[in-house]
Formats: sequence, C-alpha cells, structure tokens
Amino acid sequence: MTTPDPARMNITARRPSPWRNLSLVWLVPLAALAVSLGVAWKAYSERGALITISFENASGIAANETTVRYRDVVIGRVEKVGFAGDLSKVSVQARIDKDIAPYLDADAVFWVVRPEVSARGISGLSTVLSGVYIEGSWDQNPGFAQTSFEGADRPPLAQPGRGGRRITLRTDDGRMISEGAPVLFRGIEVGRLEKPRLTVSGDSIVVDAFIEAPHDRRINSATRFWDSSGFSVSIGPGGLSLDVDSIASLVAGGIEFGSVFDGGQPVGPGTVFDVHTDEAAARRTAFARTLSGGVAVSVAFDESVAGLASGAAVNLRGVKVGEVSSLNAAIQSGSDEAEVQLIAKLLLEPALMGLPPGSGEAEALDFLEQAVEGGLRARLASASLFSSELIVELVTLESAGPAQFAREAEPFPQLPSAPSNLPDFTATAEGMLERISELPVEELMAQVIATLASIESLASAESTRQTPAAAVALLEDARALVTDPGTRALPGELHAAIADLRAMVAELQQGRAAANLAAALEKGSEAAASLADASDELPALVAAFNALAAKANSLETEELIRSASQLMNSADALIGTADARALPPALTGALEEMRATLEEMRQGGLVENANATMASARGAADAVAAAAEGLPALSARLERLVARSEALIASYGARSSFNSETLDALREIRTAARAVSQLARKIERDPNSLLFGR
Amino acid sequence: MENSESPQRFLTAAAAGLAGCRACGTANPGGARACTCCGSPLAAADPASLQRVWAWLAAGLIAYVPANVYPMLRTTTFGRTSENTLIGGIAELFSHGSYGVALIVFFASIVIPVAKFLAIAYLAVSVRRPAALGSHGRLMLYEVVEFIGRWSMIDVFVVAILTALVQLDFAAAIAPGIAAVSFAMSVAFTMLAAQSFDPRLIWNAESENLNDHA
Repeated sequence: MTTPDPARMNITARRPSPWRNLSLVWLVPLAALAVSLGVAWKAYSERGALITISFENASGIAANETTVRYRDVVIGRVEKVGFAGDLSKVSVQARIDKDIAPYLDADAVFWVVRPEVSARGISGLSTVLSGVYIEGSWDQNPGFAQTSFEGADRPPLAQPGRGGRRITLRTDDGRMISEGAPVLFRGIEVGRLEKPRLTVSGDSIVVDAFIEAPHDRRINSATRFWDSSGFSVSIGPGGLSLDVDSIASLVAGGIEFGSVFDGGQPVGPGTVFDVHTDEAAARRTAFARTLSGGVAVSVAFDESVAGLASGAAVNLRGVKVGEVSSLNAAIQSGSDEAEVQLIAKLLLEPALMGLPPGSGEAEALDFLEQAVEGGLRARLASASLFSSELIVELVTLESAGPAQFAREAEPFPQLPSAPSNLPDFTATAEGMLERISELPVEELMAQVIATLASIESLASAESTRQTPAAAVALLEDARALVTDPGTRALPGELHAAIADLRAMVAELQQGRAAANLAAALEKGSEAAASLADASDELPALVAAFNALAAKANSLETEELIRSASQLMNSADALIGTADARALPPALTGALEEMRATLEEMRQGGLVENANATMASARGAADAVAAAAEGLPALSARLERLVARSEALIASYGARSSFNSETLDALREIRTAARAVSQLARKIERDPNSLLFGR
Repeated sequence: MENSESPQRFLTAAAAGLAGCRACGTANPGGARACTCCGSPLAAADPASLQRVWAWLAAGLIAYVPANVYPMLRTTTFGRTSENTLIGGIAELFSHGSYGVALIVFFASIVIPVAKFLAIAYLAVSVRRPAALGSHGRLMLYEVVEFIGRWSMIDVFVVAILTALVQLDFAAAIAPGIAAVSFAMSVAFTMLAAQSFDPRLIWNAESENLNDHA
C-alpha cells in the first residue's frame, strides 16, 4: 500500500514589512534635507525685491558690486546692468532689502554718487576707492510699492522726507544762476536752486528753489529775492562801496532773500517770486505790495517829461506815497486848437499819505480834493543831484493859481500840475546878473578913492617933500666940494694924496680904514636898500590885498563887500602908519648919512671916494626916483586889484555851487579812500573773509 | 552574464561555517561572538545594512546641492565684496588662464564627489541585481572609494586656511560661505555611506547567484 502523499502546501513566507527593519540612520538624510530646505527657504524669503532703475548712463555701475544705499547704509546690490528696450537708457536691476521695499513708492528717487569737485566743495570722496554707489531717498511712509524708477542725474535738492518749501523764482538773466547755487538768508545758506529753465514764451527764466526747514518760515509776501552773485562796486553819496560774497556764490551764483517790510502774509505753494538785480532794487519794491490797492490819479504835464519813467517815485514832502504807473500822450482838444499833453498815471497809497488804515479810494480822493483847494500841485522834480531822473512831487504852493481837482475826469481823476523849478541855465544866468547888480559897487569905489587919497597924502607929506630938498642940499654940498679951493688944489695935492693913498692902501691892507670905508659905503647902500625895501613893502601890501580878496572869495557876498571895505580901511591904516610916515625921514637920514660920508671923504680928501659916494648917492637918488615912480604903479596895481576882486565877486555867484560840489566831491573821495583802507585793513586782519564772505 | 557562462567556484566564509572579521580580516570559527585576533565584534553580513548606505548617500547628495548653489568664499578687497560659488570660482580661474589649478579644483570639487556618489550607488544596487562589473572589479571600486574619501576635504582645507590667514581688515578679508559647511558635510556623509557598505555582500550576492544557477 502506498501511503498517500500529504497535500502539497503552498506556503509562502510572510513578507517582512519594509518599515520593520527601517534603520534610524534615515533620520540623517531627513535632517539634512530639512536643514537644506530650511536654508533655501530662508534665503528665498529674505531675498529682497527686485527693482529696476533707469539711468542715462551707467558709468561706474557694476553688477554684483555696486551697492544701493539709503542714508549711507547698504540696503541692496545691483544684480544686472542692461539696456531698456529701445537702448535709450541703461536699466539697472537691483535687489533691495525686503524691509525697505515697501517704502519705495512714487516719491523714491535714486541717483549715482560719484566723486565730484565743484566750487562748493568736494563730495563723494569715499567712492574713489570703493567705486560708485546708488543712493536712494524716500519718505518715511510706506506706500504703494513700485518696482520701476527713473534715476536722477544729480542728488535731488529736496530729498523726500526733509522739511522745507519749494518755491519758484523768475528772472530775466540766467547767467548768474546755475543749478545747485545757494539760496542765502543774511549770508547763511538755507537752500539750493534747481535747474533753471526757460519759460514757454522764452522771455524769462524760471528756477525752482528749495528752502530747508525751518528757514522756509521766512518766506512770505514781504520776501524779496535778489541776485547776490559776484561782487559789485558802487560809488554813491555814501562813498565807494565794494560788496564781495563768498567764493562759492562768486563762481556758481547765488540768490539772497530778505524781508523788505514787516507783516508779510503767508504764501501758498507754487508762489512765483521775482529775482531783482540787487538788494537796493529789491527793497525799492516794498511799495509794490499795495500797488493793487493804490488809488489811481492822472497828471497832465505841459513840459518835457524826459527823465520820468514808470516806476518813478511820487513824493509828498519827501516821503514816497506812490509811484508812476504809466506815461502816455493824449490830445487835449482845447478851445482853439488841439494840444498834445503828456499824462502820467500815478498810483497813490492812501495809508502812506497819512490817511487812517482801511481808507478806500473815496477817502483818498476827498483828501486830494481838499489839498488841491489848499494849493496842492503835482510837479516834476529832480530825483537827485547827480542824475537826470525825474520824480513827481506833490507840493503845496502858496502862489498857485486857482485849480480844480478834476474828480470826474476820465479815465482817472486828474491832479493839477505846476511848472517845475528844475534848474535852468537861463534862470541861473539871470539870477547871477541880478546879484551882481545888487553889489555895493559905489561903496567899494569910495573906499578905493579914499585909499588913493591917503596914498596921495603920503606922497605930498612934508617929509616926502623934504627929500628933494635934501638932495638939492647934497648937490650943493657937492658943488661946494668941487668949487672948494682945496679941490682946486687937488691936482697939486694929488701927488701927495697918491702917496698918502699908497700909505692908506698899505693901511687898507691891514683892513681897518678899508673896513671903516666899506662900512660907510655899506651903510650908504643899506640906506639905499632900505629905501628900496620900503618901496618893496608896497607890493607886499598888494599881496596882502590879494590874500584878502581870496579870502573874500569864500565869504558871502555881503561879507565880501564888508571885508573888502575892511581891507581898504586896513590898507588906509597901513599907509597911515608910523612906519610909512617914517619912510621919508629915513630917506632924509640916509641922505644925511651920505652927506656925513662925503664929509668924511672930503676930510680923507679922496676924489675917488667922493665919486663913488656920488655914484651911491645917485643910486640912492635913483632909488628914490624909482620909489616915486612906483607910486603910480602902485595905484595902477590897486586898480587892477579892484578889477580882479570885482571879477572874483562876479564869479562868486556862479561858482558857489561848483565850489560846494567840489568840496562834496572831495569829501566823498576822502570817505571812499577811508572805506577802501578799512576794507584793506579788514582783509589784512581777517584774510579768509575774502574766501568765506563776511 | 559572464559569471553564469564561466562559473567560478569559490567558497565564502559564511558557506564554510566561518565568520570573517571586518576589522582585521581573520577568519574566525563559526559561532564566535568576537574576533579571536583583534576582539572586534563579529556579525554576519546583513543585507539590511544597505539601507544605511542609501541613507548616508542621500544625506550626502542633499548636502551637495547647497554646496554648489551658495557661495564658498566671501572676499572683501578695499571695500568691495565678491562672493564665489564652486562653479563660479572654477570658471573664474579658467578665464584667468590658470588651467592647471582650475582642473585640480574641478576634479577635487566636482568630479570626485560625483564619482563617489555614482560608485556607492552602483555598489549598493549591484548587491541586489546582476551587475556588469565582476565581483573583483566592484571590490576594487569599493577600495578606491574608501581610499579617496579622506582626500575629498581639500576644498574645505583651502577655505579654512585662507580664512585664517587673510584677515587684513580693510585691504583684504576672506570669510567662508555656507557652501563650505555644506561641502564638508557632504563629504562626511559620503564617507559614512562608504563605511556603511559591507563588501562581504558582494561575495554573498555572487554565491547566491551561482547557487541559483546551479
């Protein structure tokens, strides 16, 4: 028998679970994966926003190197430098920190910081080594984030988030205004100019300026701007003035501003200010604030208005109350024929005329009507001594004829005008002739006649008459000497005399007798000289007269006459002095001395001496004759002097203003010199003031 | 298969009732718990150990990705900072004409790690499936991988030395990047993967194949 086979069991081993033998080592790759993914996620999540900035050129910008900074802190990095679609711009792609990206809204600006050397200093020096970087600026409020920006060429003047005010300036001359030029307030830089641009019409230049806080509070309706660039030299009544600003504004130009009156009203954004040529011009516009509220009146002038321009001042008792608004001609249809009149439109400010604040046109016109009743007239006047500019003066004239304030005149109420008293040549000449005719010529002539009379009395004085007599006596003595028997015996004695003379010559060599003789002769010639001196004193008198006349020149006419009279009196007195009287006795004394000398000579028995003495005596007589001849010359001189003083007096009136002008000019030159020396001293003391301004 | 066409008769230690020591190679009598020669614990070849190989290999591969993506070195010269990844550095060296250095770095950083990954993966796969390479060839491959593993840290050494030496403040400074750490970890994981592989599995698989054919 066969045993049955057991049924074949189809047994399969239980498959081990793949998880059962799972090793713990698998945790390692899981951890590595987790870490790697974590790092990757972190890197991705911290990856900043990609923005695109387009620039005109990308000089110095390199991918992966150039950083983007905000307030000099790196906030991003350039990733790619490429071109815009049409190659018109360079587009720089930069990745910006995630935290910063929300702030990059519409007001964000970017610019490239490069090293720059300009008149205002050196900037961006740190980029020389580290390369350029892109600086951004935006405000502190996150907004609707953008990813595409236009890059600026230069740092913006007004960086977003900085307080200040943007204003617009208008000027005619753009030469001294450049981008980045400083805006100064009392010499302190408080803002910068942006790029100047032409207006659409091309007739003026507009430039935006940014005034930094807190200085922007100073901008109001009273603010005026003027060009402070460069330096200016002006010569005026105050002397020479040299105004130099800092070197920076010298090179780049500058605008200064200031308040020209108190109580300016705040201005809104977008206000346009005019730039005036200088501070004085800006200050003159203080009036302009009320132009709109001014009261318009017109004045018709019959005379030439050359020199009167619109903008000229209208003064009331020297105070500016308005200005000339316009000038035009109008045909005045008179009774018989048409006449051309020049009509000036004036704008008057009621408040400046002393009317209570808030006065309107009606009050001002009432005031003018009353004033015209009282003689108020408008007339032309010279603005200053040195210029031919004219202003309109409102004056109250006592002598004014009756006139009406034409209140109903069209287009404006009309003020009556008065003829001006402008300096006129013919008027001046007439005035001068009048003054000359008013001079007391007769009195002067009487004085001159008196002077001549006293001179005559001098000539006819007793002692003067004695002089010829003494001369006759001298001659008689001489004749007596000649007819003297001793003289006859002279040839006989001559021989002995010559011998004596020889002995005397020997003695003379010892110097005694000769000295005596010489002294005697000198005395004689001194006498003659003193006679000549005495006659020389007369020219000195004339000179004194001249000096007095010169002095009279600087005096008032009446005083001149008075001093001329005094001069005549003193000349009189001089002639009548004891010295002058003593002149003839001195002459006599001299002659007597001469006679004594002749006596001495006679005693010496020297014909040669006598001859020499005679020659001296003749010289003395000649001198006396010359002196006598000088007397008519003196009177002639006096006549000439009188003529000259007349001429001087005649020129006095004409030259007085010239003199005062000359003096003024000299004084001004002296002031100018002092100002220059002060400037020089200041520069010497403080040389860097030239560089940094005052 | 060539093995099956010319069957080579050989005896594994396990088939002979012996246990080979992995540390010193001594063939111990079967049943011994510890090596009689060196005292290391004895264990039969366990096919389950393969999953450790795969795990380490996976970790090494994962770490190798950031090693290539992130910068290896951060160089700062005069304020300019530049970062270089592995590939970027090689490309830069190559473009500067340093072909030799570029080649060395390329081999050390790219070729060898990738080759190791491939080799280990191949070895692990070949235990279960018929392999093109003979057992001897695979053993040789294993030896090479294990030998070369200790030289794979060249990049990391270079980075460490540069970082230590070049700290000249503003003029020049070098800092290691994330990639350096990742690379070091990748190399370490790869070495562990190689270590985890039991070469006896090669022979066990061989004998099983032969037995199946017999």
